[in-house]
Amino acid sequence: MSEIEGSPGSSMHGVTGREPAFASSVASPIVPTDTTANFDLPVDSEHKAKKFKLFSFANPHMRTFHLSWISFFTCFVSTFAAAPLVPIIRDNLNLKKQDIGNAGVASVSGSIFSRLVMGAVCDLLGPRYGCAFLIMLSAPTVFCMSFVKDAGGYIAVRFMIGFSLATFVSCQYWMSTMFNSKIIGLVNGTAAGWGNMGGGATQLIMPLVYDIIRQAGSTPFTAWRIAFFIPGWLHVIMGILVLTLGQDLPDGNLSSLQKKGDVAKDKFAKVLWNAISNYRTWIFVLLYGYSMGVELSTDNVIAEYFYDRFNLKLHTAGIIAATFGMANLLARPFGGYASDKAALLFGMRGRLWVLWILQTLGGVFCIWLGRANSLPIAILAMILFSIGAQAACGATFGIIPFISRRSLGIISGLTGAGGNLGSGLTQLIFFSTSRFSTEAGLSWMGVMIVACTLPVTLVHFPQWGSMFLPPSKDVVKSTEEHYYSSEWNEEEKKKGMHSSSLKFAENSRSERGKRVASAPTPPNSTPSHV
Amino acid sequence: MAAAPRLLLGFLLVLACFSETCFATITFSSLPRTLVVTASHPQRLLKAGEDKITVRWGLNQTLAAGTDSAYKSIKVELCYAPISQVDRAWRKTVDNLSKDKTCQFKIVKGPYTTTNQSSEWTIERDVPTATYFVRAYALDAKDNEVAYGQNTDAKKTTNLFEIQAITGRHVSLDIASVCFSAFSIVALMGFFLAEKRKGIKAQQ
Repeated sequence: MSEIEGSPGSSMHGVTGREPAFASSVASPIVPTDTTANFDLPVDSEHKAKKFKLFSFANPHMRTFHLSWISFFTCFVSTFAAAPLVPIIRDNLNLKKQDIGNAGVASVSGSIFSRLVMGAVCDLLGPRYGCAFLIMLSAPTVFCMSFVKDAGGYIAVRFMIGFSLATFVSCQYWMSTMFNSKIIGLVNGTAAGWGNMGGGATQLIMPLVYDIIRQAGSTPFTAWRIAFFIPGWLHVIMGILVLTLGQDLPDGNLSSLQKKGDVAKDKFAKVLWNAISNYRTWIFVLLYGYSMGVELSTDNVIAEYFYDRFNLKLHTAGIIAATFGMANLLARPFGGYASDKAALLFGMRGRLWVLWILQTLGGVFCIWLGRANSLPIAILAMILFSIGAQAACGATFGIIPFISRRSLGIISGLTGAGGNLGSGLTQLIFFSTSRFSTEAGLSWMGVMIVACTLPVTLVHFPQWGSMFLPPSKDVVKSTEEHYYSSEWNEEEKKKGMHSSSLKFAENSRSERGKRVASAPTPPNSTPSHV
Repeated sequence: MAAAPRLLLGFLLVLACFSETCFATITFSSLPRTLVVTASHPQRLLKAGEDKITVRWGLNQTLAAGTDSAYKSIKVELCYAPISQVDRAWRKTVDNLSKDKTCQFKIVKGPYTTTNQSSEWTIERDVPTATYFVRAYALDAKDNEVAYGQNTDAKKTTNLFEIQAITGRHVSLDIASVCFSAFSIVALMGFFLAEKRKGIKAQQ
């Protein structure tokens, strides 16, 4: 079944549920290789790569991967570049705690909107220009830091730089044009995690650059402004690399992008309604706000916290803060891996428990971090907190593909937005007022993480059950087919629009865990023409 | 038998001392105010990097002789007034001097002499915009604070002065900023238009 390039959810279409969410290659009988193609990697009939070769830069597939994740990484670097320099900036601009907190909220709020628009931009211009436009048009906003002279300007510039986080969308979109849908889970998960590392890398880079500029003789209040030129140049350099080295499709560029129109397009309003009327969507929006959201909030406050609480030097605080974000390298993939392993044994119930355990542990360690009075304990608590929160992010996306087949793209998008909303909210409540000291704010944030993770106990799938309840006893309702085809009404079913949902349902039986073999195949479930 | 509980008590006392990281915590409230400090400066908003403050300090002559026997050196510091500490926990006043953040800028440090001393200090360029007063600590041979004096009253309401920080901005920085931003936009548009033109030519 051919698909509209880049339509919402198309990057995840093909994740059937049978394979682990993070397969790195797909063998020939499942997806036939196009032997006439002359690429470095084996490709399918659309010339999308079937294999993920991490340390290759070969054109076009792996080169796209690296251009894409490094662009996303760059935007994370610039969005959080101010955070480790706040001890200097707050003195230069005469900021109060509210100003610092509000700027942190602003830095994550902009991308809520820009991510929504980015999908349409990629549809119009293609992901290569989408990425290049965003990264090169946000370069001036980074350079604007040299003009800032008060709290208002600071908040405004951080808000504008935050728009660049929409490169997440172009990154995922671009990969879906280059990689076969059966391995797209691992590819996109790796790109997302490595991009997020930028939030950690910036805590190392910026104090280092600041120190070098100070050694060169600059005064502090000028040195931090000059330091911002580094992320600015990175934006420009990555933009040019994307434009010169990248291409939209395996076979060439945008002009050959043709929309394959032989499948009835799904109506956006219906897809949206299907997403927002599913209560599980909202539970995961909330949950992601307390895994990804708290990760973003912590990126914004942790360097300043260590600097003030333990009287460290700026670059020492930066190194410690960096380990928080850099844990994404392994922690996020680990979460997905743990989710997959639990699914093998216990099915969907295992995935839900893994998510609850990882996220709650993250919350507990966050409480500990706020209460730690000595530096070594605080660092230990922070590292454990980072592993819990980031693994929970990975585990979340081990479950999301199963909430809905029809509205997968929108649910993924809403979840992502929930992450930023959660971040803005926690920064507003706990880190923008003098009511809480930063250590109290961290502990209360930990309490909120534990509390807001409890709703995962309410997520119930009739065909698989929930954390505590077994699957439905009803013969019809307890089938995967019933759940996924109930997203379509009778009229749509008559047109056969639900056929890929049925295929997905059949393959998602693996989410029953070890009970797969004993599950009876209900009669009349799989139409013969699929 | 009576020795055992005493030994235990002694042991606990020693442990308690070590738990204070082997230093006695010096609190501000324990220091006597024996020094007289004055600061003179132009009577207007002072500019960092330009204006000078002349600080004078010496022992309060009304006190008994020998009060200053332990004083070996003096450090004079620029300290935040309460109004500049509001909503800024990184400038908080705490009694434990090792954790106190009231005074963050060193004006001068030198050996203590019984005669009055003065020093002229050009306000450094990393001093932020705020309201300040001047405090001097007398230090003993181990560099521990043993006494203090300040140019304001106990409630820190009199003789305060305001300093205006440098902006940190430079015309050359602003110009460089504009140039790189323009380059970014122009390069993007250039590529886009060039490729569009190539695409149109290929179609013709």
